[in-house]
Amino acid sequence: MHGLVVGDLRIEAVEAVEDEASAAVQLLWKGKSNHRHPGEALAPYFREVLAIAAQKRVPLELHFEKLDHFNSSTISSIIQLIQDSRARSVKLVLVYDQALKWQKLSFDALRVFARDDLLELRSA
Amino acid sequence: MGEFNFSIDLPVRSEWANVDLLRTSVQNCFTAVFSDIEGCRLLAMVTGELIENAIKYGDWSRSEDQRFHLRVWGEGRSAHVSVENPVQHDDENAEQVLETLGWMRRFPSAIDAYRAKLLEVAAADRDLGNSKLGLVRIAYEGNCTLTAELARGVLRVQAELTV
Repeated sequence: MHGLVVGDLRIEAVEAVEDEASAAVQLLWKGKSNHRHPGEALAPYFREVLAIAAQKRVPLELHFEKLDHFNSSTISSIIQLIQDSRARSVKLVLVYDQALKWQKLSFDALRVFARDDLLELRSA
Repeated sequence: MGEFNFSIDLPVRSEWANVDLLRTSVQNCFTAVFSDIEGCRLLAMVTGELIENAIKYGDWSRSEDQRFHLRVWGEGRSAHVSVENPVQHDDENAEQVLETLGWMRRFPSAIDAYRAKLLEVAAADRDLGNSKLGLVRIAYEGNCTLTAELARGVLRVQAELTV
Protein backbone atom coordinates (compact mmCIF):
# COMPACT_ATOMS: atom_id res chain seq x y z
CA MET A 1 0.00 0.00 0.00
CA HIS A 2 1.45 3.32 -1.01
CA GLY A 3 1.28 6.78 0.47
CA LEU A 4 0.39 10.08 -1.14
CA VAL A 5 2.10 13.43 -1.54
CA VAL A 6 0.00 16.47 -2.49
CA GLY A 7 2.01 19.68 -2.31
CA ASP A 8 2.93 20.19 1.35
CA LEU A 9 0.86 17.22 2.50
CA ARG A 10 2.36 13.78 2.96
CA ILE A 11 0.21 10.77 3.83
CA GLU A 12 2.00 7.62 4.92
CA ALA A 13 0.08 4.36 4.69
CA VAL A 14 0.66 1.69 7.32
CA GLU A 15 -0.98 -1.68 7.85
CA ALA A 16 -1.29 -2.23 11.60
CA VAL A 17 -1.53 -5.96 12.22
CA GLU A 18 -0.37 -6.47 15.85
CA ASP A 19 -3.46 -8.47 16.68
CA GLU A 20 -6.83 -9.08 15.13
CA ALA A 21 -8.63 -6.59 17.38
CA SER A 22 -6.37 -3.67 16.52
CA ALA A 23 -5.76 -4.50 12.86
CA ALA A 24 -6.36 -1.46 10.66
CA VAL A 25 -5.27 0.40 7.59
CA GLN A 26 -3.68 3.57 8.96
CA LEU A 27 -3.07 6.80 7.08
CA LEU A 28 -0.65 9.14 8.87
CA TRP A 29 -1.13 12.76 7.79
CA LYS A 30 1.91 15.05 8.00
CA GLY A 31 2.66 18.60 6.91
CA LYS A 32 -0.05 20.90 5.58
CA SER A 33 -3.04 20.23 3.36
CA ASN A 34 -3.25 23.56 1.57
CA HIS A 35 -3.78 22.53 -2.06
CA ARG A 36 -6.31 24.49 -4.10
CA HIS A 37 -8.17 21.32 -5.11
CA PRO A 38 -7.11 18.64 -2.61
CA GLY A 39 -10.03 16.40 -3.59
CA GLU A 40 -8.53 15.80 -7.04
CA ALA A 41 -5.78 13.75 -5.40
CA LEU A 42 -7.47 12.69 -2.17
CA ALA A 43 -10.69 11.27 -3.65
CA PRO A 44 -9.06 8.59 -5.85
CA TYR A 45 -6.58 7.77 -3.08
CA PHE A 46 -9.37 7.37 -0.53
CA ARG A 47 -11.25 5.08 -2.94
CA GLU A 48 -8.16 2.90 -3.19
CA VAL A 49 -7.48 2.58 0.54
CA LEU A 50 -11.17 2.14 1.27
CA ALA A 51 -11.25 -0.80 -1.13
CA ILE A 52 -8.24 -2.34 0.65
CA ALA A 53 -9.81 -1.87 4.09
CA ALA A 54 -13.08 -3.38 2.82
CA GLN A 55 -11.27 -6.36 1.33
CA LYS A 56 -9.31 -6.98 4.55
CA ARG A 57 -12.39 -6.27 6.67
CA VAL A 58 -10.48 -3.88 8.91
CA PRO A 59 -11.13 -0.26 9.93
CA LEU A 60 -9.57 2.66 8.13
CA GLU A 61 -7.78 4.98 10.59
CA LEU A 62 -6.79 8.52 9.67
CA HIS A 63 -4.21 10.04 12.04
CA PHE A 64 -4.02 13.83 12.05
CA GLU A 65 -1.90 14.33 15.19
CA LYS A 66 1.18 15.36 13.17
CA LEU A 67 -0.71 17.59 10.74
CA ASP A 68 -0.02 21.33 11.00
CA HIS A 69 -2.99 22.67 9.04
CA PHE A 70 -5.76 21.77 6.63
CA ASN A 71 -7.97 24.06 4.61
CA SER A 72 -11.74 23.85 4.32
CA SER A 73 -11.49 22.11 0.94
CA THR A 74 -9.70 19.28 2.74
CA ILE A 75 -12.51 19.11 5.28
CA SER A 76 -14.93 18.67 2.37
CA SER A 77 -12.85 15.72 1.13
CA ILE A 78 -12.88 14.13 4.59
CA ILE A 79 -16.67 14.50 4.74
CA GLN A 80 -16.88 12.71 1.41
CA LEU A 81 -14.74 9.90 2.83
CA ILE A 82 -17.07 9.65 5.84
CA GLN A 83 -19.98 9.21 3.42
CA ASP A 84 -18.17 6.68 1.25
CA SER A 85 -16.85 4.56 4.11
CA ARG A 86 -20.33 4.36 5.62
CA ALA A 87 -21.75 3.34 2.24
CA ARG A 88 -19.19 0.51 2.09
CA SER A 89 -19.73 -0.44 5.74
CA VAL A 90 -16.07 0.18 6.52
CA LYS A 91 -15.41 1.57 9.97
CA LEU A 92 -13.65 4.93 9.81
CA VAL A 93 -11.62 6.23 12.76
CA LEU A 94 -10.39 9.84 12.85
CA VAL A 95 -7.59 10.30 15.40
CA TYR A 96 -6.61 13.83 16.40
CA ASP A 97 -4.70 15.74 19.08
CA GLN A 98 -7.17 17.53 21.31
CA ALA A 99 -4.33 19.48 22.92
CA LEU A 100 -4.19 21.41 19.65
CA LYS A 101 -7.09 23.83 19.77
CA TRP A 102 -7.61 23.91 16.00
CA GLN A 103 -7.77 20.12 15.82
CA LYS A 104 -10.15 19.89 18.78
CA LEU A 105 -12.48 22.47 17.20
CA SER A 106 -12.38 20.86 13.75
CA PHE A 107 -12.93 17.28 14.85
CA ASP A 108 -15.43 18.02 17.61
CA ALA A 109 -17.65 19.53 14.93
CA LEU A 110 -17.31 16.41 12.76
CA ARG A 111 -19.05 14.45 15.53
CA VAL A 112 -22.25 15.57 13.84
CA PHE A 113 -21.64 12.56 11.53
CA ALA A 114 -20.96 10.07 14.36
CA ARG A 115 -24.39 8.53 14.50
CA ASP A 116 -23.36 4.86 14.47
CA ASP A 117 -20.39 2.56 15.10
CA LEU A 118 -19.05 3.14 11.58
CA LEU A 119 -17.48 6.48 12.53
CA GLU A 120 -15.30 7.02 15.59
CA LEU A 121 -13.54 10.25 16.52
CA ARG A 122 -10.74 9.53 18.92
CA SER A 123 -8.46 11.92 20.74
CA ALA A 124 -4.90 10.65 20.86
CA MET B 1 -2.91 37.38 23.38
CA GLY B 2 -1.68 40.49 25.14
CA GLU B 3 -2.84 44.02 24.48
CA PHE B 4 -0.73 45.45 21.65
CA ASN B 5 -1.50 47.58 18.62
CA PHE B 6 -0.36 46.03 15.36
CA SER B 7 -0.99 46.40 11.65
CA ILE B 8 -0.08 44.68 8.40
CA ASP B 9 -1.28 46.18 5.12
CA LEU B 10 -0.27 44.48 1.87
CA PRO B 11 -1.21 44.45 -1.80
CA VAL B 12 -0.70 40.79 -2.68
CA ARG B 13 -0.35 39.06 -6.04
CA SER B 14 -3.21 36.68 -6.74
CA GLU B 15 -1.18 33.49 -6.78
CA TRP B 16 -2.10 30.34 -4.91
CA ALA B 17 1.37 29.94 -3.41
CA ASN B 18 0.77 33.19 -1.53
CA VAL B 19 -2.01 31.63 0.55
CA ASP B 20 0.40 29.57 2.59
CA LEU B 21 3.17 32.18 2.51
CA LEU B 22 0.84 34.72 4.13
CA ARG B 23 -0.92 32.28 6.43
CA THR B 24 2.37 31.10 7.89
CA SER B 25 3.77 34.65 7.94
CA VAL B 26 0.83 35.85 10.03
CA GLN B 27 1.20 32.83 12.30
CA ASN B 28 4.94 33.32 12.72
CA CYS B 29 4.78 37.11 13.20
CA PHE B 30 2.15 36.96 15.88
CA THR B 31 3.63 33.92 17.59
CA ALA B 32 6.84 35.96 17.91
CA VAL B 33 4.91 38.74 19.68
CA PHE B 34 2.18 36.97 21.63
CA SER B 35 2.34 34.01 23.96
CA ASP B 36 -1.02 32.54 22.86
CA ILE B 37 0.24 30.20 20.14
CA GLU B 38 -3.15 28.58 19.56
CA GLY B 39 -4.75 32.01 19.18
CA CYS B 40 -2.12 32.89 16.56
CA ARG B 41 -2.87 29.64 14.70
CA LEU B 42 -6.56 30.56 14.55
CA LEU B 43 -5.76 34.08 13.33
CA ALA B 44 -3.60 32.48 10.63
CA MET B 45 -6.38 30.05 9.67
CA VAL B 46 -8.81 32.96 9.30
CA THR B 47 -6.29 34.78 7.10
CA GLY B 48 -5.72 31.69 4.95
CA GLU B 49 -9.40 30.97 4.36
CA LEU B 50 -10.17 34.59 3.41
CA ILE B 51 -7.21 34.70 1.00
CA GLU B 52 -8.24 31.39 -0.59
CA ASN B 53 -11.69 32.83 -1.29
CA ALA B 54 -10.22 36.02 -2.78
CA ILE B 55 -7.96 34.10 -5.15
CA LYS B 56 -10.58 31.54 -6.12
CA TYR B 57 -13.47 33.88 -6.72
CA GLY B 58 -11.97 37.30 -7.45
CA ASP B 59 -12.25 38.77 -10.93
CA TRP B 60 -8.68 38.62 -12.19
CA SER B 61 -9.55 39.30 -15.83
CA ARG B 62 -9.61 43.09 -15.77
CA SER B 63 -6.12 44.15 -14.95
CA GLU B 64 -2.55 43.09 -15.44
CA ASP B 65 -1.88 44.05 -11.84
CA GLN B 66 -3.71 41.14 -10.30
CA ARG B 67 -3.62 41.86 -6.60
CA PHE B 68 -5.92 41.59 -3.63
CA HIS B 69 -5.54 43.65 -0.51
CA LEU B 70 -4.81 42.05 2.86
CA ARG B 71 -4.95 43.95 6.12
CA VAL B 72 -4.40 42.41 9.55
CA TRP B 73 -4.60 44.75 12.48
CA GLY B 74 -5.49 44.89 16.12
CA GLU B 75 -5.90 47.05 19.10
CA GLY B 76 -6.61 46.12 22.68
CA ARG B 77 -8.07 42.63 22.66
CA SER B 78 -9.50 42.72 19.13
CA ALA B 79 -7.83 41.48 15.97
CA HIS B 80 -9.15 42.10 12.48
CA VAL B 81 -8.46 40.46 9.13
CA SER B 82 -9.74 42.14 5.99
CA VAL B 83 -9.37 40.92 2.40
CA GLU B 84 -10.50 42.97 -0.60
CA ASN B 85 -10.67 41.62 -4.13
CA PRO B 86 -12.17 42.85 -7.41
CA VAL B 87 -15.39 41.19 -8.55
CA GLN B 88 -17.42 41.33 -11.73
CA HIS B 89 -20.65 43.31 -11.98
CA ASP B 90 -23.50 41.17 -10.57
CA ASP B 91 -20.94 38.66 -9.36
CA GLU B 92 -22.72 35.49 -8.24
CA ASN B 93 -20.04 34.53 -5.73
CA ALA B 94 -20.06 37.92 -4.03
CA GLU B 95 -23.82 37.64 -3.63
CA GLN B 96 -23.36 34.15 -2.17
CA VAL B 97 -20.88 35.51 0.37
CA LEU B 98 -23.45 38.08 1.53
CA GLU B 99 -26.18 35.42 1.56
CA THR B 100 -24.00 33.05 3.57
CA LEU B 101 -23.36 35.69 6.23
CA GLY B 102 -27.13 36.30 6.44
CA TRP B 103 -27.73 32.52 6.62
CA MET B 104 -25.26 32.20 9.51
CA ARG B 105 -27.06 34.87 11.51
CA ARG B 106 -30.17 32.70 11.56
CA PHE B 107 -28.44 30.21 13.87
CA PRO B 108 -28.18 30.66 17.64
CA SER B 109 -24.41 30.08 17.54
CA ALA B 110 -21.51 29.66 15.15
CA ILE B 111 -21.16 25.95 16.00
CA ASP B 112 -24.81 25.37 15.04
CA ALA B 113 -24.24 27.08 11.69
CA TYR B 114 -21.04 25.13 11.11
CA ARG B 115 -22.67 21.78 11.87
CA ALA B 116 -25.50 22.66 9.48
CA LYS B 117 -22.98 23.57 6.78
CA LEU B 118 -21.09 20.29 7.30
CA LEU B 119 -24.34 18.38 6.79
CA GLU B 120 -25.09 20.48 3.71
CA VAL B 121 -21.67 19.64 2.25
CA ALA B 122 -22.29 15.96 2.95
CA ALA B 123 -25.68 16.10 1.23
CA ALA B 124 -24.20 17.79 -1.84
CA ASP B 125 -22.84 14.45 -3.08
CA ARG B 126 -19.76 15.06 -5.28
CA ASP B 127 -20.33 18.75 -5.93
CA LEU B 128 -18.03 20.12 -3.23
CA GLY B 129 -17.07 23.40 -4.88
CA ASN B 130 -18.06 26.83 -3.63
CA SER B 131 -19.86 25.59 -0.51
CA LYS B 132 -18.70 28.60 1.54
CA LEU B 133 -17.58 26.11 4.20
CA GLY B 134 -14.48 28.24 4.76
CA LEU B 135 -16.49 31.29 5.79
CA VAL B 136 -18.58 29.31 8.26
CA ARG B 137 -15.43 27.66 9.58
CA ILE B 138 -13.89 31.08 10.22
CA ALA B 139 -16.88 32.13 12.30
CA TYR B 140 -16.83 28.91 14.33
CA GLU B 141 -13.17 28.00 14.79
CA GLY B 142 -11.96 31.60 14.82
CA ASN B 143 -14.84 32.71 17.04
CA CYS B 144 -15.16 35.63 14.64
CA THR B 145 -17.72 38.19 13.71
CA LEU B 146 -17.80 38.31 9.92
CA THR B 147 -18.95 41.22 7.79
CA ALA B 148 -18.86 41.80 4.04
CA GLU B 149 -19.34 44.80 1.82
CA LEU B 150 -19.75 44.98 -1.94
CA ALA B 151 -19.12 48.39 -3.46
CA ARG B 152 -17.72 49.74 -6.77
CA GLY B 153 -16.63 46.34 -8.01
CA VAL B 154 -14.76 45.37 -4.85
CA LEU B 155 -15.75 42.73 -2.30
CA ARG B 156 -14.36 43.25 1.17
CA VAL B 157 -14.75 40.47 3.74
CA GLN B 158 -13.67 41.26 7.27
CA ALA B 159 -13.33 39.09 10.36
CA GLU B 160 -13.08 40.40 13.89
CA LEU B 161 -11.65 38.15 16.57
CA THR B 162 -11.69 38.73 20.28
CA VAL B 163 -8.30 37.60 21.50
